[in-house]
Amino acid sequence: MKKALITGITGQDGSYLAELLLAKDYEVHGIIRRASTFNTGRLDSIYADPHTPANRLFLHYGDLADASGLARLVGKIQPEEVYNLAAQSHVRVSFDAPEYTTDITATGTVRLLEAIREVGIRPRFYQASSSEMFGKVQEVPQKETTPFYPRSPYGCAKVYSYWVTVNYRESYGLHASNGILFNHESPRRGETFVTRKITRAVAHIQAGLQDKLYLGNLDAKRDWGYAKEYVEAMWLMLQQPEPDDYVIATGETHSVREFVELAFSHVGLDWQKHVAIDERYHRPAEVELLIGDASKAKCRLGWEPKVKFAELTRLMVDADMALLKAHREGRARVTA
Amino acid sequence: MRRAFITGITGQDGSYLTELLLEKGYEVHGGVRRTSTLIRSRIDHLYHDPAIYNRRLFLHYADLEDPTTLRRALTKAAPDEVYHLASQSHVGLSFEIPESTCDVVAMGTLRLLEMLRDLPHPPRLFFPSSGEVFGRPAVFPQDEDTPVAPVNPYGCAKAFAMQMVRVYREAFGLFACSAIMYNHESPRRGENFVTQKICRGAAAIRQGRQRELVLGDTSAERDWGHARDYVRAMWLMLQQDRPQDFVIATGELHSVQEVLETAFAAVGLDWRQHVRRDERLFRPAEPARLVGDASKARRELGWAPATGFADLIREMTEAALAQMRSESASAAQG
Repeated sequence: MKKALITGITGQDGSYLAELLLAKDYEVHGIIRRASTFNTGRLDSIYADPHTPANRLFLHYGDLADASGLARLVGKIQPEEVYNLAAQSHVRVSFDAPEYTTDITATGTVRLLEAIREVGIRPRFYQASSSEMFGKVQEVPQKETTPFYPRSPYGCAKVYSYWVTVNYRESYGLHASNGILFNHESPRRGETFVTRKITRAVAHIQAGLQDKLYLGNLDAKRDWGYAKEYVEAMWLMLQQPEPDDYVIATGETHSVREFVELAFSHVGLDWQKHVAIDERYHRPAEVELLIGDASKAKCRLGWEPKVKFAELTRLMVDADMALLKAHREGRARVTA
Repeated sequence: MRRAFITGITGQDGSYLTELLLEKGYEVHGGVRRTSTLIRSRIDHLYHDPAIYNRRLFLHYADLEDPTTLRRALTKAAPDEVYHLASQSHVGLSFEIPESTCDVVAMGTLRLLEMLRDLPHPPRLFFPSSGEVFGRPAVFPQDEDTPVAPVNPYGCAKAFAMQMVRVYREAFGLFACSAIMYNHESPRRGENFVTQKICRGAAAIRQGRQRELVLGDTSAERDWGHARDYVRAMWLMLQQDRPQDFVIATGELHSVQEVLETAFAAVGLDWRQHVRRDERLFRPAEPARLVGDASKARRELGWAPATGFADLIREMTEAALAQMRSESASAAQG
């Protein structure tokens, strides 16, 4: 049985990836940070009592800020595959907490790579790179060869991790790959990200629990895909004979305004009556037209996105409607 | 009187820059790390000059890993210009200590940017990036528009810091700029850098102190300038109307082999009789053909290197020889 280690397993991508790997008969190990509140909500549907004999999901306390702990875990688990999904992943927040963002999102990667380099089994390594690395885009659409121009502390930290991953591949012969993932959303997206913030607000406004939604830059354009499909690409990269770097994207770009219009109209609401602009949500430096060209992934990995913008928006609104309904009826949270 | 704060003041560039700024009438403040041995040889001549130390030159204990202390030193000095030269500056060593290289070079620069941003009158910031950010570039020579693609932990950290400097310039309006500096050497170069290792080795063999010099690959080529010329570019960049990044380089490539030949010839020796190769000194991922195009600096700053390659290597070898001779002389007297 193959063993995989996932950092950031409690996040959107980590939870989908854990499900995928369990379905492929992996033993899945995840690193979780200690918190005074439960942070494993996204894993509820797959979490089993660790004493159950059939259990194949194991959670370990650890942190990308804690190098000794990482080395100990990698040595103990001896995973064949390591997926580094943990990050301070919010771009706007990275302007408020740049040092912390760098410690986790940049230095954390080199800590993990060092831990992997030391362990005899030489696991394959996946690094979650990001379209934010392209920032002030140098060409449209962006592909694997497009130069980076990060515009936020988060983008700078991800560029660092990208290069250090390439560097460990070239210097030590590690099977280490970067997935340059463009925005990917789902009902499990964190509530402070713009898509999820909108779909949650739509559910609340529809239910009469809220009237206004405050947003930042409506003209920001992104290439939005479905997280559940994007984690398949991560797995595919580690199954290739040779490590490499791949752009994962839909190839379509849409503005926040379009997302708002579609999300509100899906439940019969007029967005203009509810949406207001709050300057505080603007980024100090905005990234420009992000749109990815995933033809290399299509050609080499056979990967292609199926869920596109309109379906994704509706799927997220529907999930937030169902979640709110369940919540109001006192039922447990649902996970899509 | 204008005030400057230099991190890394005890290093090669820091000491030359201090001399330049003192000459230009600045009050100079420097951050020094606490160590159990007091190694400040590069600024000793200034430290022991009563007309300078504690009058126009001030040293503060500070460390990039100790933000509170550094913040306090910066607040106290209230500089107009900050030159952030402190770094783990050895490429080969960055493979041995990648995490602390990242912490000092990448995170240290970010911490400094955060502090400057919070000061009531943010000073201008100079950051020395490196030709290493280009890794194994496809274009020769490299200029300000060449894509960044580092191939070692040092290059990754420098690239991060340079990009972060740009983010703070664009997002927060700081007068902050990076120079992509290619190798620059001098008699004050650290002893574990290849040029210094060769020049000192040639001098030591000449003096009969050692018999042979052990080296790795000598085919590697670099763009080597004189540190004294390069600190002038640092100062010039902070005197411009707007902050911009510049490549600072000589535009010439010379091999380690040429360093070897020039250094040994400077002391009248044949290198072939004294050099042994050691495979273990080869770097895991050797970057190739890093040569910079400094025409933007020439055009906009009026900067050009004054010292050529051969003069640089001869100056280094002769300085090493003179130092060893004066050590021998004082040992004989003692």
